[in-house]
Amino acid sequence: MTGIASHTVRPGHAGLTAALGLLILLLIWETGARALSDSYILAAPSEVLVWLRDNRGLMARALTQTLTNAAMGFAAGNLAAIALAGVALVWPGAQRTIMGLALLVFCLPLVATGPILRVLLGPGNGPQIWLAALAVYYTTLIPLLVGLRAAPSVWLDLIRSYGRGRGAELIYVRARAALPYLFAGLQIATPAAFLGAMVGEFTGAERGMGVLTTRFIRAMDVPAVWALASVAAAVSILAYAAIGWLAKAVLRDKPPIILALPPARSAHGTRDALLVCVLALLLWWGLMQGLGLSRFFAKRPGDVFDALFLAPDAAETRMVLLDALIQTIIYVVPGYLAGLALGAGLAVLLILAPALAAVAMPVAVALRSVPIVTTAPLIVLALGRGALGTTTLVAIMVFFPSFVACLHGLRQAPGQIMDVFDSYAAGPISRLIHVRIPAMLPAFFAAARMSVPAAILAVTVIEWLATGRGIGSLMALSASLSDYDMLWASVVAVALLSVLCHAAVAMLERRVLRVFAAEQAVT
Amino acid sequence: MTLTSWTRRRMMATGGAGLAALPLGLRPLRVAAQTTVNLQLSWLHSVQFAGSYIAQERGFWRDAGLEVSLMQGGPNAPVEPPVVSGNALVGISAADYTAAAVAEGAPFKIIGVAMQKNPFAIASLPANPVAVPADLMGKRIGMALANTPVLQALCSLNDVDIDAIEIVPTQYSAQPLMAAEVDCLLCWETDLPVAMAIQGIEARTMLMADHGYALHSQTYIATEDSLANRRADLVALMAGEVRGWDAYRADTDAAVALTLAMFPDAGLDQPTQKLQAERQVPLMFSDLTDRNGFGSWTDEAVAANIETLALLGRDVMPDLWDRSILDEVHGR
Repeated sequence: MTGIASHTVRPGHAGLTAALGLLILLLIWETGARALSDSYILAAPSEVLVWLRDNRGLMARALTQTLTNAAMGFAAGNLAAIALAGVALVWPGAQRTIMGLALLVFCLPLVATGPILRVLLGPGNGPQIWLAALAVYYTTLIPLLVGLRAAPSVWLDLIRSYGRGRGAELIYVRARAALPYLFAGLQIATPAAFLGAMVGEFTGAERGMGVLTTRFIRAMDVPAVWALASVAAAVSILAYAAIGWLAKAVLRDKPPIILALPPARSAHGTRDALLVCVLALLLWWGLMQGLGLSRFFAKRPGDVFDALFLAPDAAETRMVLLDALIQTIIYVVPGYLAGLALGAGLAVLLILAPALAAVAMPVAVALRSVPIVTTAPLIVLALGRGALGTTTLVAIMVFFPSFVACLHGLRQAPGQIMDVFDSYAAGPISRLIHVRIPAMLPAFFAAARMSVPAAILAVTVIEWLATGRGIGSLMALSASLSDYDMLWASVVAVALLSVLCHAAVAMLERRVLRVFAAEQAVT
Repeated sequence: MTLTSWTRRRMMATGGAGLAALPLGLRPLRVAAQTTVNLQLSWLHSVQFAGSYIAQERGFWRDAGLEVSLMQGGPNAPVEPPVVSGNALVGISAADYTAAAVAEGAPFKIIGVAMQKNPFAIASLPANPVAVPADLMGKRIGMALANTPVLQALCSLNDVDIDAIEIVPTQYSAQPLMAAEVDCLLCWETDLPVAMAIQGIEARTMLMADHGYALHSQTYIATEDSLANRRADLVALMAGEVRGWDAYRADTDAAVALTLAMFPDAGLDQPTQKLQAERQVPLMFSDLTDRNGFGSWTDEAVAANIETLALLGRDVMPDLWDRSILDEVHGR
């Protein structure tokens, strides 16, 4: 009885729970803001509404600007991800290389790419659109590749028995199997695109919500800062819900059972890694040369090598870099694990108690879409600038992809197996343990992989804003002092750290998925 | 500010501009064809750059055959890359950033100094004030760790033990001071204290420039290449700046009104802009600029700057400053 009741919530009942939940949330926010009114960090919803009413013209113009850039970046980034996934599938030999390069590009810190994009694209919206696109393509590519493999081998056998090739396989089987994962990627991308466009405005844009946020934080106009945050969150929540609605309308079939033989282990790991390194260096050098970027701020691989190994002060440079890197690693590992656990835990909680979704979902999207410059002071006040505060901030910046991917993964529990559990009247916990979590594992590991660069980038932002230590702080300092050798050396260090952590996660993933989802193992 | 000094400055400005226009007039091509150049600002649009807005609005540049577009700065928009790349003919920097860039191989010269006095200040609350550098001892100061050399320099100049100060890394906002997370802030005289005043809290500020921290700020930088090959454009641009800033000083309220009108989407409000406009006047104008015109500097000032820069770990030669453009502007 309890089992049935818990997974068939009546719509009217759910709506009521949702409304009640949101009301409680607003009340907590209002009371909290009033209690904290002396510390100038949080505005109450009532103050936010008043500000929005008085400044609706300004807000509407800024929103139009930022939303347009975010939408263009969203479209461009996701199309690029789909194209890359298509290439990787049609040409499996290139997959590792594509993934490796995609990871490296995703690792590039804003403090290095922003000024270059501005110089290349000039005044206008170029950098905002590019940074929005760069913020989304990786988190779509990874789930998409998982989804493209999430097809039962019998379906593929059927295509082959008709004598059709890879193209037909891609269109008729894999694309359909990938749809749920694509929607997960698109949902992860919505707040990221908006935030990317806002942060892109920090590179010297004329107008938009990021410009206003910068302005109002300095002016200590707390209602204005939270009005911007609320609008950013509301827009992201709406876009997220719209994609969720679209996914529901499109994905009618129950997820299939996927069975596949574990493949043999690839012998080309080292060769592929080397290829990625060589290609990355060539791209780095070639792009900077080809675009004619000044050596003053666009350092080539050779310049970084010089600075790290040949220059008279090379030893000191290495020391500074290593010091910063170690400080970063100390924070990144707990932050990453906490974010991953928070995301997966929240997803599991929502499957067990779907009524919570109406409250938890908007909060989750809001946390991802509000610039951390707005929320960081609040968390610093509550938890301090030490390990706890930093870890929490990183977890907040990281948990979202893992939450969304896991939620989609949990819903990939095969229909037939769920039917069997239905017939035995199995409870939600045993479904979770025996069906949903194994079905979630590919999505979980996709999330674990895409969270690696996200966590490292998050730590660098926190270091710059709150702790003033580590590689994030070093990069900001280097940029302001025109020490572009150090900046690019830091970029390389961040990239290497991401790649190493990524490799570690991937190794763990291979071991687990060989048992639970053999179709995912990359040969 | 007396009427005579105002009139004298105005005469000088118009006279200077007239002289500047003279050599340009000898090259009719220059005047006929408008040259387009960019001026890279160091931060978001505000009255901080109102002199440039006046120059643009009143056609000071257009008359000299120059079309100037003002590129806004931002938190992730360093000034040096666009100037090095030639995207911007001139950038607004500060002597310490310029010195750092030159040490990294950027061929920059300082061709004008908007802020004679450095705007860095220590802001505190009247109940627990920092009035002199010695008051810093035992206090918690909120600042970006990147600015530690600045604090170190202030301490060295005033025999204060920096280890007796607790540095708290904070975002650039007055919030930590208002929330009593820190006792004082390292900030600009013209931004965070202004924000506090608008919130109804009058901060105590100690201008670092009054305690030996001599460092030119809001400096105009250009590359050696531009100085050699684009002199006419540089002279026209700086002539417009000089006229614009003289007009700014003559009527800061008009400058504020223009700023608000030009950037309706920037989220600016009039009381903040007015207060900022007033507070930056004593940093930008002095007896020296009254005598020699906006943007100028003395050899003594350069020597003092070099001393401060040495404390910041920068070795600089006096030829980092190049007077030739301003000399042409002022017809010297």
